[in-house]
Amino acid sequence: MQLVTLSTIVGWLTYSALLSLMALGVTLLYRTTKIANFAHASFVTVGAYVTYTLTITLSPNPYVGVPVAFVLVGVIALLLFYAVLEPMRRRNSSTVMLMIATLSFDIIMLGVMNIHADYLTNVYVLPSRNVLLSGSDFKFMGEPGLLFVALGTLALCSAALYLLLNFTTLGIALRASMENSSLSEAIGINVSMMLAVSWFIAGGLAGIAGALIPLWTLINPNVGTLLLASMFCVSIVGGLEQTYGAVLGGFLLGLVDVVGTSVLASLVGPWVAFYEPVIPLLVLSATLIIAPRGLAGLRVRRGK
Amino acid sequence: MTPLDQVILFVVDLLALLAVYLIINIGLNIQEGITGIPNFGIVLAVAGGAYITGGLSTRLAVSLLRVQTNLDPIFNNIAVLHLVNPILRSQPPTAIAMLVLFLIIGSLAGALMGLISSAPAVRLREDYLAITLLAFGEILNVIGIGYKPLIGGPIGVNLPDIFGWAGQYRFYVGTFVLLLVAAAIFAYAGYLIKTPFGRTLKAIRDSEIVARSLGKDITRYRTTSILLGSLLCGTAGSLWVLYSGAVTPTYARFDWTFLPWLMILLGGIGSNRGALVGTVVFVALNKLIVYYKYAFVGILPFDIVWLNYLLLGIITILILIYRPEGIVREKVTAPKLNLSAANKEIQSS
Repeated sequence: MQLVTLSTIVGWLTYSALLSLMALGVTLLYRTTKIANFAHASFVTVGAYVTYTLTITLSPNPYVGVPVAFVLVGVIALLLFYAVLEPMRRRNSSTVMLMIATLSFDIIMLGVMNIHADYLTNVYVLPSRNVLLSGSDFKFMGEPGLLFVALGTLALCSAALYLLLNFTTLGIALRASMENSSLSEAIGINVSMMLAVSWFIAGGLAGIAGALIPLWTLINPNVGTLLLASMFCVSIVGGLEQTYGAVLGGFLLGLVDVVGTSVLASLVGPWVAFYEPVIPLLVLSATLIIAPRGLAGLRVRRGK
Repeated sequence: MTPLDQVILFVVDLLALLAVYLIINIGLNIQEGITGIPNFGIVLAVAGGAYITGGLSTRLAVSLLRVQTNLDPIFNNIAVLHLVNPILRSQPPTAIAMLVLFLIIGSLAGALMGLISSAPAVRLREDYLAITLLAFGEILNVIGIGYKPLIGGPIGVNLPDIFGWAGQYRFYVGTFVLLLVAAAIFAYAGYLIKTPFGRTLKAIRDSEIVARSLGKDITRYRTTSILLGSLLCGTAGSLWVLYSGAVTPTYARFDWTFLPWLMILLGGIGSNRGALVGTVVFVALNKLIVYYKYAFVGILPFDIVWLNYLLLGIITILILIYRPEGIVREKVTAPKLNLSAANKEIQSS
């Protein structure tokens, strides 16, 4: 009996790449704004529906949705930042209050996405829930194109982020405001602008990941909500204080989740697969107990 | 039904919901308002109380009432309840005793859920705790749907009719019991805040370092606070399923985490009276919205439920920006110092 098949590995790499893209944004926002962004769930959902809506109405190529989702979700993240978080920040709201604000924004977007789905169904008579686009994906070397696109996008996005953060003035200002916002403000960095940039990038990354989801699994207006626990798990496993930890965390959680479930299912029984949503929580708990600073934190020792 | 009966039933239903949310909000306020633990996963404790009560109540009723049957209490739920309910109807004292038993079980289930979900992060900073609790929030739904012996899978189960002895006044009696429990818990929470224990929790919220320097074991107090808050959420979940008579694995973040947060924000975080005011204002307003929005059915090309999400999300954000302290400001309480007595003591020593 073969425990790990090629399709399991393809599933692992695809899922991990998508998770890493989502978690990169979570970690980036945690580092700049110091909050866990609960609205990341609906950012992903919006991306998914951008692809789905474009594919069934305008273009047969599902990948057209990716750049559109990047810009649209980036703008939505900016809206959340400028309309909600920035006024609250100016009134010195606490971290918890900012987090409730992102949760409220997520609830609003959940309503908007459900209205969008209802609208598609009721006005244009198109299916809009439990839909999948993997049929319109291309094949490359016998494997779904999504595998290569997801891995390629992740490589491209992390490389771009690395170049931006390390080799541009904007990136250096961004990192400075992550490390110490009041000191950065004192030397003339527009910290509010830097925060806005990080919200746009994080939202855009979530949008890209979301835009690829319809090619991978069934989408619903709550597809992002169901992935939220996994995103946070990846961010914490990778280390909330290390931007690129998210990539490492994504591949680790993906491994435990996809490969672990498939091995367990073939050993114990197929019913195990149903409890897959429990896995990220177990990984999260184990990480918090063993290494609260995440994998990346194991190497970095900070003197106190 | 006459129009008057309809109005009365509307009010009775409203009061039942009010009581359940009041208990949850007091539980949340003990955690977030008094201790500063941002519990974004109270849905877990509510669902814990609801599902465990739902899963165990029929089984317990069968064994405690010595009902002779080979039928499974969950999979042949309706048939078993046909045997159980007449007994409960004819023996009100037994029914009441069983209600108390189920409430205790549900509350303990809620407390256990709070304990399990907070355990990995309770020693860490509040943002880690917030993320962990939110992540754990809806896990019971996965188990409730997948593990059928718990509450019968996606379709759910019915519960023994614990208020059946009241006949046509079932819902009146049920609401009365709910309000009674809620009032008792409200009084207890008001008392708790003034005790040394409550003041220690507030001290931890305001400055962990100061509390630690005074020799307080922060982790133990935070765990106790989560335990107590989750216990109350479990009580509420248990009461709600016993009142409505059925449970399905559909307890979602919106209804049982987001709305309680909205209510305590509305009333004023940290104040017990604020939790009451927030609950009353919200439940009344929300029922009116639900009542009137059906005027829009058929006009809009989408389900009007989603308008609620939009409206409530926007209201919460507006409160957060413009009136984060809520309707009732938290009262700063200090123990009355008896200075002259203290002086005398110093002089005599």
